Amino acid sequence: METIAVQGLTFGYLKASGHRVLREMRTSFDRRDITLITGPSGCGKSTLLYLMAGIYPQSAGFIEAGQVRVEGRDPAVMPPWQRCRLVGMLFQNPDLQFCMDTLENELIFCLENVDAPREEIGPIIDRALAFCEIEHLRRRALSTLSGGEKQRAMLCCLVALRPRWLLLDEPFANLDDATARSLALKIAQLHREQGVGVVAVDHRVHSWVGLAERMCVLAPDGTPAADLPGPGQVPPEQLWQLGVSGPGQHYRTDMPVVAAANDTPVLELFDVAVHYGDRPVLRGVNARLFGGRTYAIVGDSGCGKTTLFAALSGIVRAEGQILLCGQDLQKRRRQLVGRIGFVTQSPQDQFVADTVLGEIEVSLRRQGPPEQAAQRAEEILREIGLYKYRRLSPYMLSQGQQRRLGVAALLAYDCQVLVADEPTYAQDLQNTLAVMEALHRQVRQRGIALLMSTHDRQLAHDYADLLFSLEGGVLREIDRSCL
Amino acid sequence: MRSIDPACKAVGLLLCTLLLCLRHSPALNLAVFALCAIGLLTARVPLRKLALSMLPILVAAVGTFFTGYYFAAGSGSVNAQTLNLLGSRVYNGLVLSSRVVAFAGLGFLLAYTTDKVRLVQSLQQHFRLPAVFCYGLLAAWGIFPNMAAEYRKARAAFAARGVRVSALSPALLRPLLVKTVRWSEALAVAMESKGFTAGRPRKPYRPLVLRPVDVLFPILSTAAMLAAVLLVPV
Repeated sequence: METIAVQGLTFGYLKASGHRVLREMRTSFDRRDITLITGPSGCGKSTLLYLMAGIYPQSAGFIEAGQVRVEGRDPAVMPPWQRCRLVGMLFQNPDLQFCMDTLENELIFCLENVDAPREEIGPIIDRALAFCEIEHLRRRALSTLSGGEKQRAMLCCLVALRPRWLLLDEPFANLDDATARSLALKIAQLHREQGVGVVAVDHRVHSWVGLAERMCVLAPDGTPAADLPGPGQVPPEQLWQLGVSGPGQHYRTDMPVVAAANDTPVLELFDVAVHYGDRPVLRGVNARLFGGRTYAIVGDSGCGKTTLFAALSGIVRAEGQILLCGQDLQKRRRQLVGRIGFVTQSPQDQFVADTVLGEIEVSLRRQGPPEQAAQRAEEILREIGLYKYRRLSPYMLSQGQQRRLGVAALLAYDCQVLVADEPTYAQDLQNTLAVMEALHRQVRQRGIALLMSTHDRQLAHDYADLLFSLEGGVLREIDRSCL
Repeated sequence: MRSIDPACKAVGLLLCTLLLCLRHSPALNLAVFALCAIGLLTARVPLRKLALSMLPILVAAVGTFFTGYYFAAGSGSVNAQTLNLLGSRVYNGLVLSSRVVAFAGLGFLLAYTTDKVRLVQSLQQHFRLPAVFCYGLLAAWGIFPNMAAEYRKARAAFAARGVRVSALSPALLRPLLVKTVRWSEALAVAMESKGFTAGRPRKPYRPLVLRPVDVLFPILSTAAMLAAVLLVPV
């Protein structure tokens, strides 16, 4: 009975719509394994996980047929204080998991929830902190922790609650490779030492090499496409055919040939520095970017990549000078609108219109009369396959569709520099390739300079003409072989 | 001041604030502010923090002084000739502006000498406030910094796309609203996944015990304020 059994499960979000996310799904997970679930975006991976955690259908959707049983029990009908002893969940966004101000208070909150005896709470907290090796974070404000520290803090809460199953919903999406791997090792240790069953949904399967024993790949329609041994034991080519990027697999076979630089740089950074209070995040960043090239910045989580892009977009005040086409960007931002575009980590951060069509029209408004803009906007939407959604709010699109719309809206400007903060964040292989190919085409055909950050070193290796590493607040050019 | 039970302190200061509304006396208002300032300084609240917090209050106080001055009962049109430095107009202005300062003092005394987690726990334990309300409040407090960051992001996105919007434009607030709803859903799910069950009795790990001084604070502060309100001449 030490299994999670999914028996003929059909689940949808809206009864009125005929669309069902999962149809007659049958599968099971063994507590002795670390199981990885992967597959394209929107195939129902996270939905399946939420059903196993008992969050659905209480919070959203309905079960049309079938059932989910965790060790013979229906998690959806269990009260939360009992359910959390059976299944614990680690979520994708580390900022939205905590209720209290410090980790110690959060741990107390968790243990009070399950009526832990008062005299045992202190020792349980000590043991959980020691296991996760974060005793030093005990009284730190949770808001000041990095993404990796927050995920480790959340894991600490789960260690204290001691669920029999640990369900992970893309827990490493915000983390660099090294941090993701150290967290995966800790989860594997929990599995090994305490017998906790682990089921993880993840696009980045390389974090689990040597740790996961089994890998379930779902097809776009939510049906199981393949049941494989863990990553590392399957040829990357086989994973690629299933739409999954395997460890060491190249995104493209033709390596970029560094384009000849024009005489004049389009973006120049001179001694750019940013401080948060007394803490320096960037200390004198210098760079010259030329059109027709792709530049990738890699670095650990919290190294300042997003801060650098925030300085370029004017969200944070920066010292030093930033020149765009020879003009001071910080002083002439209004006049330079449209010359520099920002692809944000979450596509929702760049939407400004009520409809999908309006989103593209905003970009075209400066380039001609409104009728032409509307006509061209419709053409663009047809090209990116979103024409039928033109009257919908951009927020109603799927994550992959939002990303396509966001990139298309920016490319509709006559921009010379495109700054992309993790453009493939939380995207599946197909979307990753679609976004990167669209950007790469613009770089080569229109001579745009693309400056992107990414945690995916393989992606940086395969698409960038020049690579930078951001470390200690300083930007350094690095060789491709360093990745 | 810091050691007094937060809920008792909040009740005492709230009652004082309400009683203060009953009396129009600049002297009483300023005396209350002075007492609050003493309380804040003895609680070792940094002077710089206090001074910075007082800046907008002083601006508001000056504004309300002139509002009270010009729009006192019986005043006619507003012009330079009506500017008297004595009389009921000045008094009316002083009543309003000193009240702003006194209310700010009472507010700062609670905010700067109270730990918000202890305040919520105290309200829950002593006043039986529902746990779902208390912990929901704390969780919401935790995402305030995100909201400020998201607002800046939204403004930057509009500016980068060449769309001019005012600081409080509904267009700017729409993405914030959408995200806030999603955040609250995510937080609620995360709290439930950690075992939080609304309506279930909780046994606190650190029970807050009421000492005599905690109970006496609201009684004595309210009594003192009541006496002042009744005895201080208008």
